[in-house]
Amino acid sequence: MKAMVYFWFKNVILKWVIHMSEKVKSFVLLHCILLVYSVSSILSKLASKQEFLSFKFIALYGAVLFILVFYALMWQQVLKRLPLVTAYANKSVTVIWGLIWGVLFFHEAISITKILGILIIMAGVYLVVTGEEKA
Amino acid sequence: MSYILIYIGSVFVSSVSQVLLKSSAGKTYDSIWQEYLNPKVIFAYGMFFASSLITILAYKGVPLSMGPILEASGYIFVAVLSYLFLREKISKRKLAGLLAILIGIVVFSI
Repeated sequence: MKAMVYFWFKNVILKWVIHMSEKVKSFVLLHCILLVYSVSSILSKLASKQEFLSFKFIALYGAVLFILVFYALMWQQVLKRLPLVTAYANKSVTVIWGLIWGVLFFHEAISITKILGILIIMAGVYLVVTGEEKA
Repeated sequence: MSYILIYIGSVFVSSVSQVLLKSSAGKTYDSIWQEYLNPKVIFAYGMFFASSLITILAYKGVPLSMGPILEASGYIFVAVLSYLFLREKISKRKLAGLLAILIGIVVFSI
């Protein structure tokens, strides 16, 4: 009896916990990467306010390129751990970050139509990426 | 409005580069160097860099919150370009999604 409980714990419960924690880790990694990626848009916006090829412009643009390369490399790692469709469906969260950064750093306004537009786009992206599999 | 068009232009340029990369990914090369250092791939990365510069130009007039929204138009460009040049099919579900993205962009912008 004791052996059976032990076997069950080791092979079912423990495996499930490890599997779930790996999954949670992959999702946390994915969303950290998407958060970093969304920061590149703040830097692009800041760069747009600088004189072209001024020191500040080059520094900001360099940081943008650095993030884009980092993102491309990390994205490949995420795709090893999560299905392509899941990764792409989660990617649309960047439209929410865009709204948050715009409101926080550039005093842009939130409106019902903006939130509605974001929700429609996220639903659309979901349909596009899940429609890919069946095509 | 013209800055919005510039942003969409930059998304289009990056979509073309994506489709170029996708079309060269299907080919086999003699060495790993040729896989990266062939004219198509170098041109595609060049377009990608150009697109990031055009994005900065567009941000002169486009609000930050609208940037990622306009970027979603990339799904539409990639689907249409892949349909035209890579003969990839567009399922009904995907078509519905592309339409939703288009509607979402318009709703956000009004």
